[in-house]
Amino acid sequence: MSIIVTEPVTERGRKDARRHREKQREAIIDKLPEIIADESIITRKGNKIIKIPIRSIDLPHFRPKTEGESEGIGQGEGQPGDVIGHRPGQGKPGEPGQEPGQEPGVDYIETEVDIEEIIELMLEDLGLPKLEEKEVKELIVELGFKIGGIVRSGSWPLLDRRATSQEGMKRFWSLLEALRTETGLDELICFNALKQAEGLLEKAVEILKQNQVTLKESAITPFPIFEAGDLRYREIQQDTENQSNAVIIAMMDVSGSMGDMKKYLARAMLFWLVAFLRKLYKNVEIRFIIHHSTAKLVDEDNFFRTGESGGTNCYTAYELANSLIDTEYPTNRWNVYVWHFSDGEDFSPDRTIEELEKLIDKKVNMIGYGEVQPDADPNLFKNNRSELWEKFKNYFTLKEVHDNGLGLAEGEKDLPLLCIRLMEREHILPALKAFLRKDRWTQ
Amino acid sequence: MKKQEIERLVEIEKRIKEIAEESGLLTTEIAFEVTTAQRVLEGMAYEFPVNFSHWTFGRDYEKYRTIYEHTGTGIPYEQVWNFDKPKAFLVETNPFALNVLVIAHVYGHVDFFLANRYLKHGRSFSNVVEEARNASKRFKEYEAHYGQKEVEKVIDAGMSIQWHQNPDPFFEEQDEEVVRGRLMSLERAKLERFEDLKSKFKKPETKEEVAQIEKRLEKLTTKTPPEPTYDILNYIIKKSPKPLKPWMVDVLTVIRNQARSLAPNRKTKGLNEGWATYWHVKIMRRLFKDGLITPEEHGIFNDFHSSITQENKAGFNWYRIYLALFENIKERWDKGQFGRDYEEEKNVFKHSRWDTAAGLGNQKIFEVRSFYSDRMAVEELFTDEFIREQQLYIWMGMSGENGEVIYIIAEDDPEVIREILKEQFTYYGVPLVRVENGNHNSQNHLLLKHVWNGYDLDSKYMNATLEKIHYLWGGKVFLETRVENKETIVTFDYNNKKKK
Repeated sequence: MSIIVTEPVTERGRKDARRHREKQREAIIDKLPEIIADESIITRKGNKIIKIPIRSIDLPHFRPKTEGESEGIGQGEGQPGDVIGHRPGQGKPGEPGQEPGQEPGVDYIETEVDIEEIIELMLEDLGLPKLEEKEVKELIVELGFKIGGIVRSGSWPLLDRRATSQEGMKRFWSLLEALRTETGLDELICFNALKQAEGLLEKAVEILKQNQVTLKESAITPFPIFEAGDLRYREIQQDTENQSNAVIIAMMDVSGSMGDMKKYLARAMLFWLVAFLRKLYKNVEIRFIIHHSTAKLVDEDNFFRTGESGGTNCYTAYELANSLIDTEYPTNRWNVYVWHFSDGEDFSPDRTIEELEKLIDKKVNMIGYGEVQPDADPNLFKNNRSELWEKFKNYFTLKEVHDNGLGLAEGEKDLPLLCIRLMEREHILPALKAFLRKDRWTQ
Repeated sequence: MKKQEIERLVEIEKRIKEIAEESGLLTTEIAFEVTTAQRVLEGMAYEFPVNFSHWTFGRDYEKYRTIYEHTGTGIPYEQVWNFDKPKAFLVETNPFALNVLVIAHVYGHVDFFLANRYLKHGRSFSNVVEEARNASKRFKEYEAHYGQKEVEKVIDAGMSIQWHQNPDPFFEEQDEEVVRGRLMSLERAKLERFEDLKSKFKKPETKEEVAQIEKRLEKLTTKTPPEPTYDILNYIIKKSPKPLKPWMVDVLTVIRNQARSLAPNRKTKGLNEGWATYWHVKIMRRLFKDGLITPEEHGIFNDFHSSITQENKAGFNWYRIYLALFENIKERWDKGQFGRDYEEEKNVFKHSRWDTAAGLGNQKIFEVRSFYSDRMAVEELFTDEFIREQQLYIWMGMSGENGEVIYIIAEDDPEVIREILKEQFTYYGVPLVRVENGNHNSQNHLLLKHVWNGYDLDSKYMNATLEKIHYLWGGKVFLETRVENKETIVTFDYNNKKKK
């Protein structure tokens, strides 16, 4: 018989479980385009935790295809047709609502992810330079006075007793050590001499040399020794905080039809842009401008709701943005991001370019021009440029790239402009990535 | 665990061994290791006491641990390995009575290991335990040398096809040249038959046949594999034109050997658990009668026993159903309820009250434990009466309103249930896929064939698996399969593009 008691435990299980979680993260990254485009995330208020159903990560293997719903063998009372359990519907397939083991169902692992984490994952995926590495325009806000650091000079009432006595103790130990190496005598004897000499090094050396140590302390009890310069004072400082501000000026052409998809794409882009900028800046504001033949400032609700008919003068929106920057968001204190959503129609594109140039001269961080045409034929859309797009392209000598119906155009490295033509949800993530990448590398 | 408890456990273990031997169970020296629940969870996930690192093991470990820590169910109460020197874990924090139960249960398993022909075969390959332990060290060195990701790629690919073995567990893979020689001499033997006849009497059909045989012979000289093989991993290890580096061959060989030694366990899991459960009940009763465990401890045992054997309305509880099976067999063979006379008895009362006092129950259950697999047990011993008595059924999920899914009993016909179980215990969800040609298109392409038996392959999984095989093969991989009643060839080529 052998019953052995052994020492536990290897850490292999935990280590390999971590690797599995890493793979889950990779799976989340793969699903990012869907997650980013998920309407329920964008429209939700408050709760920052979202749930993503991911199938438990499985090794591929050949396996039979199963048709539709699940089936299996069970045991117990009942006739064919009897209900043995149910899984409540939550609008989405695959969300589990059952006890493990007792109810049939699909093996889903639902992972809870913070929106913050998704943003981190996206940044990681983008390979963007670390956020801290970018210089952001900061504003110093004066908050008043505060007791700050420790300094070597000051007025008596500001003497910091603790810091001073610490210095005194340091002095004691360094003198004791110096005495010991100088004379080569026992530490306790040196201590007695130093105490007898009341902390004066030269005197202590003398006492030791003359062999006049009379004090007979049996243990070293350190005492502070002060020399000039050992006194420490508290400092009064001005209290300030570095504030970094960003504003997004969102502009939208509301002339003509504003389909749901168009609004949705605009909303999703803005939602994620705000989320990103919040990671970058302490204070992020967003202002909304709508325009047809004239432009006006509106609130968020009206921004997404308004649809008017009439002519289209894009420059009016850019003009309003320029004056908003002049009056409220000077670029020496604000990081300014401008986004314009349009269907490409413009009665006076030359004036639009004029106003756009003014924005660039003001050194705004980035300007995004989004042409949203959800209903267009992808092939037509690919070959058909709007007049405004062509104007931008020629004027700023932009280079165009296409990927699955998503069109991107950008110019020289330091030109803070990105033009995007997008048609569907799947374009949101790549468009965002391009915008952020451009922003990071412009300066 | 306290020292006194361990001493008492040692005493009880001695007695359990005696009881087991008196009852006709085969025994041997078993190493019981008292350890933490974590260690047992690890053992469950890693299949061996020490095994190499892989994220699938980590995933399973995490799953078992979560269930254990959060629901209190899934108590890792036993883990025993089919080794020459069997080894089992006892959990230090388990109640004393539960550890006694585990020892009794393990003696049941160990008898099954020693007697069952499938498990005997499982031990015959190599010393997989030592191999696993050593592999874990070697793989670590490979990781240090070639990078964790590279090693993982090979393990992933190997494990994705590790269960593709010959469906006959006793089949011995032969060297390709031996197979070639055998097949060629068969063909030659056929030719010789014709040579007896004078050539002028030969009918045109005979000539045609001879020509065909000669053509086959011609092909056989270079054909690889000479006949289709189900052991995909073995074929890749031996023949991959990638070429595989020695360390990759090592990794794949370890994975293949582990799967081969574990396959017999899968084929007998039900009978093995049923048998161990059958005997732990008997042994625990005996210990109680002998006064070796207190009434209180016996009560704790009863609670555990009933939770282990509880009915699962959406699942197949091996412990419950196979325990019932052994009890059922014992009763039937004790009463002589088998054979033609019994089966053909038309009188319902006579049939159900049949008792010839044959007293063969014990003999029969030992026979079943020695020679049967789960599949054979279903075929022969899951009678209509047994399936009805066990209230087995097939359930199905139906979509209700608002995405709700309702699970209903779809079928309780014993015939249908038997067929489904038989199929499950034949393939274990592993479709039959064999290597047809390792020099397809004369370009070292790999041609696989899915032997269709009623189910198409899940296409997402199929493509991902082909990608893994492609990684190991290094060249184009083709798979002949059937998609919606059409013969199709799926390709996986260099550019990672899937085509039909």
